[in-house]
Amino acid sequence: MADISVPSLILFIASIVVAAGVSGVLIDTVTGISSSLDERGGDVSTEIRTDIEVISDPQAGVYDGGSDNLSIYVKNTGLRTLPAASGGFDIIVGGQYQTNVTVNVVDGTEWRPSNVIELTVTDIALSSGDYRMTIVVDGDEEVFEFRVP
Amino acid sequence: MGFGVSGSTAIIFLGVLIATGTLYTATSNASENVLEAQDADAERALERTNTDIAVTNATYDTNNTSLTVNLTNVGSETLSVSETTLLVDNAYVDVPSANASVDGDAGTDLWYAGENLSFVVGVDPTPERVKVVTGSGVAATEAVS
Repeated sequence: MADISVPSLILFIASIVVAAGVSGVLIDTVTGISSSLDERGGDVSTEIRTDIEVISDPQAGVYDGGSDNLSIYVKNTGLRTLPAASGGFDIIVGGQYQTNVTVNVVDGTEWRPSNVIELTVTDIALSSGDYRMTIVVDGDEEVFEFRVP
Repeated sequence: MGFGVSGSTAIIFLGVLIATGTLYTATSNASENVLEAQDADAERALERTNTDIAVTNATYDTNNTSLTVNLTNVGSETLSVSETTLLVDNAYVDVPSANASVDGDAGTDLWYAGENLSFVVGVDPTPERVKVVTGSGVAATEAVS
């Protein structure tokens, strides 16, 4: 009796341990996937709520050739407050990534929905011609085209 | 051996149950977040589609260096005066609420469909163009006369 019980007990314990291991790995993997899915959902939701619009009038001139400054106004037309810091923007003008960027909220302290910021790119030398400016904030991309006379 | 198989099966089923529960909760939360955002975005898009403004006239008085911009809400959406932005010659101009009147009433922030909004601001020198943008980004431009 004891000869039969001991191997059975060992097999029983082994099978339980293996099953527990398999379950543990399964739960761990699925928890990781769930966590990523949750984060991705939050990111997509944030991207959908983000929207900006360049409201500058290109006909009135946005580039100052004397001081090599490009100044545009951007309105927050989305549903969430956006960071009004130069580090939060990716700006490309005529295929060149711009680093000398200053941001100033002109009608408040934070860039809330409906608020406007003034985006100034300094030390940018543009010759006459048509230019394309791309602004990226929190995944939202806005293209603004203007002409330098 | 029989107990071992039953016990292992029970443990694996328990693991599958916990994993399914976790996955369902996460999927449900994520999709709810995205759907809510899409819903809000669709509402915003509808609001934008129903919004339209027209600059009736933009006149500059050289005697007292004041610019008067008259606008009409030609859409079907009620707009907010404080969310409306005025650009004069591509420069942001802060309009005090006392200088922004809807059909003569400077105390209201609501700009109903069909009503006229009038901005009066001091500008020097003589401006050439004005641009007015609503809170949702709908814009109208006009040359100053």
